[in-house]
Amino acid sequence: MDPIIRVESLHKSFRDLHVLRGVSIEVNRSEVVSFIGRSGSGKSTLLRCINRLEEPTSGEIWIDGVNIHEPYIDINKVRAEIGMVFQSFNLFPHMTAIDNIMLAPVCVRKISRQEAKERGLSLLEKVGLAEKANEYPEKLSGGQRQRVAIARALAMQPRIMFFDEPTSALDPEMVGEVLDVMAQMASEGMTMLIVSHEMGFIREAADRVLFLDEGKILEEGTPDDIFNRPQFPVTRDFLGKVL
Amino acid sequence: MATSYSSDALQRFSRKHIPLLYYIRKPIFLLISLALIIVYACFLPNPQETSAFFFYLNLSVLIAVLVCWCVIILADWEKPEYVKMLVAFFLLSMLALLFYRFSGADWARLIHFFFNFPIMKGSWHVLFRGLSTTVILSICSFFSCVFVGLLIAIVRSFKYHSVNLLITMYVDIFRSIPVIVLMVVLFFVFPFLGMYLNSYLTTFTALTLSYGAYTAETFRAGLETVSSGQVEAARSLGLSRWQTLRKITIPQAVPIVIPVLTGNMIAMMKDTAIASIVATPELLKSARELYTAKTSPTPLICAAIIFLAVLLPLVRLVNHMERRVNKSGPHY
Ligand SMILES: Nc1ncnc2c1ncn2[C@@H]1O[C@H](COP(=O)(O)OP(=O)(O)OP(=O)(O)O)[C@@H](O)[C@H]1O
Ligand SMILES: [Mg+2]
Repeated sequence: MDPIIRVESLHKSFRDLHVLRGVSIEVNRSEVVSFIGRSGSGKSTLLRCINRLEEPTSGEIWIDGVNIHEPYIDINKVRAEIGMVFQSFNLFPHMTAIDNIMLAPVCVRKISRQEAKERGLSLLEKVGLAEKANEYPEKLSGGQRQRVAIARALAMQPRIMFFDEPTSALDPEMVGEVLDVMAQMASEGMTMLIVSHEMGFIREAADRVLFLDEGKILEEGTPDDIFNRPQFPVTRDFLGKVL
Repeated sequence: MATSYSSDALQRFSRKHIPLLYYIRKPIFLLISLALIIVYACFLPNPQETSAFFFYLNLSVLIAVLVCWCVIILADWEKPEYVKMLVAFFLLSMLALLFYRFSGADWARLIHFFFNFPIMKGSWHVLFRGLSTTVILSICSFFSCVFVGLLIAIVRSFKYHSVNLLITMYVDIFRSIPVIVLMVVLFFVFPFLGMYLNSYLTTFTALTLSYGAYTAETFRAGLETVSSGQVEAARSLGLSRWQTLRKITIPQAVPIVIPVLTGNMIAMMKDTAIASIVATPELLKSARELYTAKTSPTPLICAAIIFLAVLLPLVRLVNHMERRVNKSGPHY
């Protein structure tokens, strides 16, 4: 079967800062891939390049077998199928939870407000926030905000989900509720790319772990391989600090 | 044990002297000094009977003492707010009274010249026609400069460097040219280039160009308050640039921008008065025509009052909106 994401020798520089130095990845359908690495190793930049929030300097990206740099590709349609969850939630503060969720289906998918609302409510229910539909984000706790953000991404019925440190901005007691939602998505067969420092969760949920160092994938393998038998001193060093 | 203290601490924490201000601030002292000041004011020497030097010396001393007395109360945070209000009012009315009594102005003549409202009979309609020109001109210019400003701010937010260079040049140049100069150039110089603008169009164009630059800056500042994370979240959901702008960025910028925009509107309305130099029959121009016709400056005063009556509510509105935006502390 074709990989759903294929990245080939991706490079990204910010002026003279060479952040990604040739990254190649293949991700299969329903696979949960986790990226770990030190701060500044380029994990966020990698995710952002794959849906072209950041324009890569060179390299090729195929989503579902299509090269997304071809001129006939509408990147908005590609992004609509890739949900993204951010460390800082980035909920729209001038909209209620349900409006946050309905926005993209109505604007991009052009479905009726009625239908979008029904779907939105069932998604809120799924993340355990049915009663918060009409709250504004400022009235929600961090964990609730992040769950609304996940529901917002899911409302577009994406085939792939990106998570960029979804629990790093949360108080410890709220991490669990977000990870539960993610674990459920993984079990439902969503393709997920996760940047996270929650090693316990990665060990449970990820099919594959990639260790990024200085803009390259230094090491990859099953969680068991990486956590228990790291090959490189850098990896061992990093794991020693976070585990 | 809990209430006792070591005498050493009492000594360490004590002042050497109780400050003079402590006694001065006592109500009894303030009341007595107030009485003295009022007596002093009543027995001020008559300027006709003493030397000018002696009179002005006394007057200055009185005013200095008066101001000091008020400042002592106004700067005392323990005095209640209504006392301070009264004191401020008292200070202003004392100063007004002294000015009225001793300034040597010829009040009757003054009123005859500047506040001779009866001569305005039958001419008010001229002023109100002027006002309507002013209002229509400002509203048209306002909408066109909002359009220009928003367009510029949006184009600028796309960060095309060469285009932004041009925009920056436009904004900087037109923010540094006085509106009056712009109008004169448009009206008197452009005809030599084969471009004839009548006085209305001149005013409209000058105000649009000049305030368009300010408005562009206002919108830019507003759009920049919306964090890049918001834009990224919207784009990652598949919204286009334009949808992101319409649904995410602009709605968040508007509450911040509106008060500033209304402030611009007020400034622009005042600046329509400049248009009288290119013979636009707006409020000031009408007032000046009446001034010539009636050989009395009263119409000018009337114009000032009309401006005040129209703009003061707008100024209050801006205040109110700003308070709503940064909901903090009292505003006066
Ligand atoms: N827009 C940008 N402009 C300039 N430099 C950037 C930009 N975005 C990221 N960088 C730089 O690229 C490097 C990698 O950043 P990135 O955010 O990908 O790291 P990361 O692995 O996600 O780190 P963290 O764990 O702290 O999130 C950093 O040195 C950062 O300063
Ligand atoms: Mg990051």
